[in-house]
Amino acid sequence: MTVTSPPADTREPPHGHRAALADDAYHELEKITDTALAFGRVLMESGASVKVIEQGATLVVQGLGARPIGLRAGYASLTLTASAGGHRVTRMRPVGRHLVNHRLDRAVRHLAIDVAERGGDHAHVRAELDRLVAETPRYSPWLVALGTGSACAAFGKLLGMDVAAILPVLAAGTIGQLARHHLLHRGFNVFVVAAFVALLSATLGGLGAIAVHSATVALATVAATLLLVPGVPATNAQTDIMDGYPTVGSARAVWVAMLMIFASCGIWAAQALIAGLS
Amino acid sequence: MSADVITTLLHIGHQALFGAVAAVGFGVLFNIGPHSLIRCALLGALALSVRTLCQNAGWSLEGSTFVAALTTASAVYIGSPRRGQAPNALTIAGCIAMVPGAFFIEALIGFLSLTSLPPETAGPAIARSLTALLRVIFTLGALGAGLTIPAQLARHRGF
Repeated sequence: MTVTSPPADTREPPHGHRAALADDAYHELEKITDTALAFGRVLMESGASVKVIEQGATLVVQGLGARPIGLRAGYASLTLTASAGGHRVTRMRPVGRHLVNHRLDRAVRHLAIDVAERGGDHAHVRAELDRLVAETPRYSPWLVALGTGSACAAFGKLLGMDVAAILPVLAAGTIGQLARHHLLHRGFNVFVVAAFVALLSATLGGLGAIAVHSATVALATVAATLLLVPGVPATNAQTDIMDGYPTVGSARAVWVAMLMIFASCGIWAAQALIAGLS
Repeated sequence: MSADVITTLLHIGHQALFGAVAAVGFGVLFNIGPHSLIRCALLGALALSVRTLCQNAGWSLEGSTFVAALTTASAVYIGSPRRGQAPNALTIAGCIAMVPGAFFIEALIGFLSLTSLPPETAGPAIARSLTALLRVIFTLGALGAGLTIPAQLARHRGF
């Protein structure tokens, strides 16, 4: 028995139908670009360097079937251009506060690698990213505050603080971190919060050290505020500049300098207050 | 074992212990998972031990910080050969105690205090503040270079 295939339909689709298909492909590309930008945004807000953000967004664009043309990273926004099926789309999205969240950063990188290797549908990938953002576990604010307070006490010991001042600095650092957490969640400006937390922690650390007859009151005053030292942005600034992204690197460096200036104002006020009270 | 060696070992142990505590404290702040916090503690102890050893050998703070950061970051990247491990937060938590925050504060407060000093007595205060600021710049530079070089050499380029 011979099976004959039907003759191929060589007719052109009507103009309206062609336009609708092109429209669908364009919207699909828009969604892919949006999804890749969402990955970049979450990575940036979790403390990743620009190189990592670019790699993550590129993996997602490729995994979802488009071709990445380029990514431009600013301190407060990301812009991505991708192409597919004869279309080219450029999208820009703002980025929120830069924090450090290692578990989320890691989970998002794994998802980007998974998308690049297995592909997928943009709606499903976006839902998975949203699920990671919502469900990645975090330590309780109290535990974070206690950890930060312990780190301040350890910094103090490394700087030469005496044993008597350990508990006051631990308590001052813990209270300072709790205050920072609550103030930032209420939307206060990050620099104003730094100055306030420096004033609070330094005053508590200094007065506490005086109360326990520590011989290193000045060191205790400074050590209690070391929770404010922006280690990740400071090193990311250099990484970005070394990787060829001087704009974001310089912006991060300026942010670090501004934060330290505000923190120093708080400590300076605390030292004046402690001198006045004692 | 001579008294000098015992004193040196005790000093290194002290630095390693408090380096580990600082690394774990900042590891919790950076939301590093519970299992990786043990790694953080070891990295913090390693960083401070290497820096203390180098300083005991007569090296400058900046040179010692560079070697300690390079060693710590190399240990992280050798232990994270696959992509997706997000090793940068681990290296920074390990080296957090070497970030010269106290010098930065000393420099800025020194500059603030200059406004209340008469110009003829401001010389030593300017020198102190400038020295602290230069120390911050060079130590941060050494730290950043030490942390970044292993990431650049890693096969996955830090991803």
